Amino acid sequence: MTLALDIVLSGLVLGGMYALIALGLTLQYGIARIMNLSYGEFLVAAAFAALYLYSGMAVNPIVGLIVVVPASFAANWLLYQIVLMPLVKRAENQGMLEVDSILGTFGILFVIQGVMLLTFGGTLQSYSYLSVPVHILGTTLALNRILALLFALVIGGALYLLLSRTRYGTALRAIAVNSDAARLSGINIRSASALAFAAGGAIVGAGGVLISMFLTFSAAMGVVFTMKALIVVIMGGVGNLLGALIAGLLLGISETAVARLVDPGLTIAVTYALFLSVLLWRPTGLFGRSAR
Amino acid sequence: MNLRRIAYAAAAGVVIAALAAFPLVASGYHLALGISLLYFTVLATAWALFSGPTHYISLATAAFFGIGAYTTAVLTELLPWPLVPVAAAAVGVMVALVVGLSTLRLSGIYFVIFSFGLAELIRQLVTWYEVNIHGSVGRYIFADTTSEGIYWRLLALAVMVLCAGWLIRHSRLGLAVRVIGQDETVARHCGIDTTRAKLALFAVSAAFMTVTGAVMAPRWTYIDPAIAFNPMLSFEVVIMALFGGAGTLFGPLLGAVPLVLLFEMLIATFPNYFSVVLGAVFIVIIYALPNGVMGLLRTKLPPLRRAALQIGMSSLAENATRVVWPRAVERAAAIDGPVLQFDQVRKAFGGLLAVDSVCFELRRGEILGLIGPNGSGKTTVLNMISGALRADGGEISLDGSSIAVLPAHRIAQRGVARTFQLVQVLPVSSCLENVMAGLVFHAPLLWGVAADVRARSLLSRVGIADKVDAPAGQLTYIDQKRLELARALALSPNLLLLDEWLAGLNPSELQVAIALVKMLRQEGLTIVIVEHVMDAIRSLCDRCVVMNAGRKIAEGPPSAVLTDHEVIRAYLGDADA
Repeated sequence: MTLALDIVLSGLVLGGMYALIALGLTLQYGIARIMNLSYGEFLVAAAFAALYLYSGMAVNPIVGLIVVVPASFAANWLLYQIVLMPLVKRAENQGMLEVDSILGTFGILFVIQGVMLLTFGGTLQSYSYLSVPVHILGTTLALNRILALLFALVIGGALYLLLSRTRYGTALRAIAVNSDAARLSGINIRSASALAFAAGGAIVGAGGVLISMFLTFSAAMGVVFTMKALIVVIMGGVGNLLGALIAGLLLGISETAVARLVDPGLTIAVTYALFLSVLLWRPTGLFGRSAR
Repeated sequence: MNLRRIAYAAAAGVVIAALAAFPLVASGYHLALGISLLYFTVLATAWALFSGPTHYISLATAAFFGIGAYTTAVLTELLPWPLVPVAAAAVGVMVALVVGLSTLRLSGIYFVIFSFGLAELIRQLVTWYEVNIHGSVGRYIFADTTSEGIYWRLLALAVMVLCAGWLIRHSRLGLAVRVIGQDETVARHCGIDTTRAKLALFAVSAAFMTVTGAVMAPRWTYIDPAIAFNPMLSFEVVIMALFGGAGTLFGPLLGAVPLVLLFEMLIATFPNYFSVVLGAVFIVIIYALPNGVMGLLRTKLPPLRRAALQIGMSSLAENATRVVWPRAVERAAAIDGPVLQFDQVRKAFGGLLAVDSVCFELRRGEILGLIGPNGSGKTTVLNMISGALRADGGEISLDGSSIAVLPAHRIAQRGVARTFQLVQVLPVSSCLENVMAGLVFHAPLLWGVAADVRARSLLSRVGIADKVDAPAGQLTYIDQKRLELARALALSPNLLLLDEWLAGLNPSELQVAIALVKMLRQEGLTIVIVEHVMDAIRSLCDRCVVMNAGRKIAEGPPSAVLTDHEVIRAYLGDADA
């Protein structure tokens, strides 16, 4: 019983992180229409920034968010305006942009990863911040995990409110549904897309800082996070925030369960098995709109 | 022509012989380089076999390569050498079929993601098996193979993969995947079993990758899952194929050679910057060479066959010779009942009932007008007949047998041809190839010169004989509509569905087009037209079915239904009824 509870709680924390980073990817893919394969590299870069701030300058990661999140926002905004804009302009249709952005961000992935490998080396890194056990319902969970989950909830909730309650959020959702019609309604697609892409970057930056508080990471791990974010987005149904939340939690819990009960080496196998079975059962994801 | 072929074959023979003699004179370093060049050439060409025409970006190369390497590691002491690559190919094909069957129906991005993780998935499973069941992570390979032996095997493989590529390009399968890559809906309506075509090509491509892994494995003497399933390999192969031009046979070769040399140089001089430079090269390629080296060569070379292209309209051949539609004539003789029966058919999109219990019959040799205001469900009815959509309920039967649950390609093969409301041609293919697509995927099977002659006659039938070699995307809107009709007629149909085919024509073009449709009926075709041009409906249709909001509201001769009160109310509102 304790084991089950333990798995569910740890799984929720991990799943909450997955859901948060999937949210950022939804912004980038659903609105800016960029399939960003270098997404996870920004997560790892943010994790390294948090590590540097904490162990080098004694700034705790929560305060570090104030620095890292805007920096990640700015970096992604520049990336979109400078590197990706030519591809957006060149694309004649959605499919072409998808292929071009996959290939272009693929290159960016290697550049960022290479720079990080040169700067930090390839070893696993971690730091210890608030790793005090807290007793919940007869099991224990480190305080940093609880804090990370809380922050993920706050950020995700804030994003949800921004998208659903504000004028600008409505414009962004309009672009996600039909960008041509949104353009005809007077929405500036290019600047809104750049903003959505940058906001996605800010979220993955926050995710990186929060994850670094309780997981070990290395310069080569970005791809794994990109994969998981993509899987969560697709499983939940592209563009569906609730779907991403549920898919993220599902993935977190099943990964934790397999790591504890079977073998920690099989987590990716589980991820893919889950991904495939969901897609075979519902090709547009758990909550995806059915294709006409 | 024949002389040129002989010259090419002779040149290829000389090149292959020279390459085969290379190990006799090469130093160890150069031989190693030669092996790298060959194995990346094979992998990139094999990758482009599938991903080039279909545009499915596969990142599964490392998975198949690793499977091949492991097959050698496991079997090398159990089987004589020649059987090892055969076994590897068999395993590769099996995995490709299982993976392909479940993932190839996923569209673009989903497939990329899955193939991206396939290598990782297999690597984890193999590692788990090796540690928990086999007892150690790595394996030693004791094969008595020299570097020269590996070189020659790879050379043979490279020749084979290029030959396979050439044969596929010139086969029905090659045409099928070119059509699929441009428009999958059109492909299905040409009678192409899209799943089977993609799967077949995916398996062929996987077989070559697996065998490459099997041949390369003895190079390492020791392998573990991290070596065999190196994800970097998938990326490198993609870059090489795209750099050269994935849409062409020799493109991947042209990409592999310079990039292998570049990587080799990078690793030798700046090992630490490899990843950064690799990424930068990738970005430059995407920006500067969107169509690869081959694309660059093409745009720089003078166009060979473009000269014949004339922009503008050509008139319909009004005195075109009558043809006989064999399928229509046969069925008319053999079957007495209606061509099509539409019985209580329903279709809903979410909460919207697009077609609500509609019934009608289609008599042999008639032109039926399917009319009604926008959004009344006409195109949905056509989509259910052609198999683009599956009905939620009710029965649709063609010549007395049910087609309600058949996939679109099977319905097309039974002689139902259609055009689309928004004209859908294959933009990159020539007009000839567009028509060919409709011509060769149904019985009686036609190919080669016979198909070519037939396709040309169909193009002249619709009045665009002078645009045989022009890419369909460059035609005017009207010519594209004609091309679409030629492609539909190429199916040798029994039943022809025209979805607003007359829309957008000017008055004189309309007269010519109406004459053409009338002539098709006289030749024995049964035709359904969905149309808003009332003049055309009056002069063409024997009967009309009128729909409004998903229901049939009237049926009868055009003169009767067009004066019906409910029909007028549906089109113009209560005030005019």
